[in-house]
Amino acid sequence: MNNSLILRHTKSGIFIHWFNAASWFLLLFTGLGLIQNPDLQPLGSWYPNALRAVLGGGGLLIIHLAVATTWLLVWLVFIIANWSSHVQPFLAQVFTLKPARDTEWMIKKNLQMTLGYKAMAMFMKPLGLGPKLPEQEYYNAGQKVAAQLMILGALVLAVTGIIMLRGKYFMAIPMADIAWVQWAIVVHYIAAGVTFGILLVHIFMAAIAKEERPAFWSMFSGQVPAEYAEHHHKLWYDEVMTNTSNK
Amino acid sequence: MPKQKLAMVIDSTNCLDCKGCMAACKVANNVPDGEWRNWIKGSDPQRRAGKPVVFQPGNCMQCDKPTCVTACPTGATYKNEADGTVVINRTLCIGCGQCLAACPYGARFKNKDLGVADKCDFCAERRALGLEPACVSTCPTKSRKFGDLNDPSSEVAKLMKSGKPVQIANEKTKTDPNIYYLGETGPADWTVAAKMPDAFDFWRGLADPVVKVVVGLSGLGVLAMLGKQLIMPKDAPPEEHKDRKEAGHE
Repeated sequence: MNNSLILRHTKSGIFIHWFNAASWFLLLFTGLGLIQNPDLQPLGSWYPNALRAVLGGGGLLIIHLAVATTWLLVWLVFIIANWSSHVQPFLAQVFTLKPARDTEWMIKKNLQMTLGYKAMAMFMKPLGLGPKLPEQEYYNAGQKVAAQLMILGALVLAVTGIIMLRGKYFMAIPMADIAWVQWAIVVHYIAAGVTFGILLVHIFMAAIAKEERPAFWSMFSGQVPAEYAEHHHKLWYDEVMTNTSNK
Repeated sequence: MPKQKLAMVIDSTNCLDCKGCMAACKVANNVPDGEWRNWIKGSDPQRRAGKPVVFQPGNCMQCDKPTCVTACPTGATYKNEADGTVVINRTLCIGCGQCLAACPYGARFKNKDLGVADKCDFCAERRALGLEPACVSTCPTKSRKFGDLNDPSSEVAKLMKSGKPVQIANEKTKTDPNIYYLGETGPADWTVAAKMPDAFDFWRGLADPVVKVVVGLSGLGVLAMLGKQLIMPKDAPPEEHKDRKEAGHE
């Protein structure tokens, strides 16, 4: 048994993760409160009314914009400073899918997470597939798809957010072009909704699902047990082991 | 304090088209160049051949069924329950302009100095000081009258009983405005049907339900996983250990 620890996340990786998590929590919290129109508010009027009672209407908008601006600037600095060490490798990993292997993994993992190993094995048998999940890299297929959608969501939120700013600030857009702002609001809402949907799964997998618990702790310590890495990210584990033995 | 229903009752036949109300409003409310919170419309002399030209002073009608409020995503525009006016909270307005398109009267504009929607508010600042709206105070013929319709002793409430007050409203958009015109007034056909912006219709009609379904499905998936974890806490692949030995790791 290999009980040693493997480095999974650097300090800057851990920082940007929790920075992003805190920002998105605040942005969701305030952004949802900005929608007061009863036809559009998903939670009902009590939510925007309660936030306005505490923060004042203007305060709500200002906090949302301040957090969003900080979020965007910190990310820009992070991306520039860590492009070759973190960002480029991360993008290369999450945007590389092997369709056959990853589809099989996704189907099996979804069945296993919802129905259990036995049911999953039962469903796989007629397809001529064993119950074993295909070996995964640093990120598994689910993490990759989630990351892709969250990156896309973040980009869309940032761009539409900047367009929306021009409704009121930064030399407000001419009325003839105001439809840009109006469509940006809708797209912002869609992107936030989809990203939140992904986040629900992400938070469950990390913080509540038992099997991924070591991954959750690694977002603090930076390290995962080798056993966990071998079981969940075999291809990455092998790579790490080869590299260390070659040294 | 009992609820007010602030309104204007305007006698068009007294209006001289002097534009005093427009100038007074601009000064009182610091309205930027080229933008106006109120107006005077003239009857079309061609179509009303043989009758004298009648003018129709107007401004935001402070509707009881305001379509601008429906179009506002943030609640920056709302109906003030205390006095019945339609108010804009500038700090909450994001300048998206949806209320402008939604107003059948074109009463709203985007204030170019502030970047937010702007319109008549019956001079809220002057009213707070106990004054009438600037246009009412300045009107030399007292064509414009202002007051609380819920107060039977008010001049406007009495005028409502004396004449045949009419509202200017679009056939397709029943806004129930709070400006009443006595007797003969100018054009009645200049309003437009309230048009919600396409983006707003798309949001309300399609985007919002779809997003709710997506988030709901995601939530259901999480619940399914949570349920499975609680029901089968020891779920594990039976051949896991065998695999590991075959893989040959320590």
